[in-house]
Amino acid sequence: MLSFLLVVLLQTLLILALSPLIDNLASKVKAVFQSRQGPPLFQPYYDLWKHFRKAPVVSHRTSWVFRIAPYVSFAGFLAAAEFVPIAAAHPPLSFGGDFFAVIMLFTVAHVFIALAALDASSSFGGLGSSRDITLAALAEPGLVLTVFTLAVAYGATTLGDVTDQVLLLGTRAITPTHLLLFGAVFMLTIAESGRIPIDNPATHLELTMVHEAQILEYSGKDLAVIQWGLHVKELALVAILTNVFFPWGIASGGLPTLASVLIFVGKAVLAIMLIATVESFTAKWRIFRLLEYMTIAFILAFFALLSIFILGA
Amino acid sequence: MLSLFDPTSAIDALSALFVVTTLVMMTHKSITPAIRMYALQSAILSLIATIVAIATSEYHLLFIAAITLGLKTFGIPKLLDYVVERIKIKRESEPYINLSLALAIAGGLILFAYFIVRPIQIPGELLAKHSLTASLGVVFMGFFIMVSRRKAITQTLGLLVMENGMFLAALSLTYGMPLIVELGVAFDVLVAAIILGILLFNINRTFDTVDASRLTRLNE
Repeated sequence: MLSFLLVVLLQTLLILALSPLIDNLASKVKAVFQSRQGPPLFQPYYDLWKHFRKAPVVSHRTSWVFRIAPYVSFAGFLAAAEFVPIAAAHPPLSFGGDFFAVIMLFTVAHVFIALAALDASSSFGGLGSSRDITLAALAEPGLVLTVFTLAVAYGATTLGDVTDQVLLLGTRAITPTHLLLFGAVFMLTIAESGRIPIDNPATHLELTMVHEAQILEYSGKDLAVIQWGLHVKELALVAILTNVFFPWGIASGGLPTLASVLIFVGKAVLAIMLIATVESFTAKWRIFRLLEYMTIAFILAFFALLSIFILGA
Repeated sequence: MLSLFDPTSAIDALSALFVVTTLVMMTHKSITPAIRMYALQSAILSLIATIVAIATSEYHLLFIAAITLGLKTFGIPKLLDYVVERIKIKRESEPYINLSLALAIAGGLILFAYFIVRPIQIPGELLAKHSLTASLGVVFMGFFIMVSRRKAITQTLGLLVMENGMFLAALSLTYGMPLIVELGVAFDVLVAAIILGILLFNINRTFDTVDASRLTRLNE
């Protein structure tokens, strides 16, 4: 029991400590491609530290939703991250839910951020919320088909079980189905983490911003909590991308080893660098073309599903 | 043996990539990236031919792979680039069918190809039997590109994609046709590309557009 709690604690600490760094690496890589120096590697930690010491300024027109939203979203993202294979295929809390639960928790966090942005009744907040929820609705078909295809291909919707299956198959797991699914999940990950071509995390331009617009009203401690939650989400997405599709090096049981932790850090760094590289060579799409983006992800997942039958025949 | 280097799974993975390149080609409105995608697709095809050649010891396929690489990855894209530069058409105008629907139709075409191929009983163990669905799907998708786009140059690309699909079908069923036939086909494609290129120049000079939807009336 004690060791159980210890592992939970260690995993949570790892997620919390690592996530700002992983998120910042993307900015760093992009800066390098733009011949800039970029932010210092540990900048997000300084930011969080600074924001945490400041009192939040809250508009007196807001309701309780605005005040609890940072904490709800943080809790949602962190809980989702506990279900995801990080350093061990079955982290202690992963009995709590499968891929669907992770998506639901993400959605809860999103809904609260969107509500809070509406609550402050600034025009930007409304704009961001409306776009974010529209995007979530557009991403849904691709997401559901992806989970469905994963279930058909590996006989499980729990992320840890899929990881186990892929580990068991070894290099035989690299089939067209696997690669097409990876493509679909990669596209959806980029959409979910609000990166180019969906949204530009580096901009505060009112015409284009989606996620930034929603947290404009926050300051001080609340901002720090919400930002940290978003960092955690980023890490969880990277973990899904790397550990479900390329799990080699992960500890197969519930207990992470030192080596598996180090390998995960390495894989996460590589994955975020890949994402940032893709981001550097892509232009942001017009918001009305995002339906096309989501359709591509959907069709990739559909091809993956079809390839199971073609290869099985 | 590692599965990635086992010829059948390598060919399966490359065939999936082959379909995806066609899909990417459909998503691009600008013409130059679509030409790059065609070059990439041809390179994949050449790689598949090489794998089949080595795995089955049909070494004349190596020669065909080399021709495919030289002609379709470097030659024809170069020619098309030249045409694009000369007629100054950079982007496809609004297609007849919007992209989301077109992609959904592409998915349907692959499904259709699967249902056509499924009842076919292929005797013996073929190395690339799964590629048949992919190749047929790509033929359909090439045809769909031809009918759904307005600009004559994108329609040319559709034709070339269809030819690539045919080539993969031949490769997956019979390990390629005899060398002399392949040479003839390769030469045919080159000639077709050149003629279409020259035709595009002339259409553009006469009508000031390569929009095929405006070419339905006879001019004086």
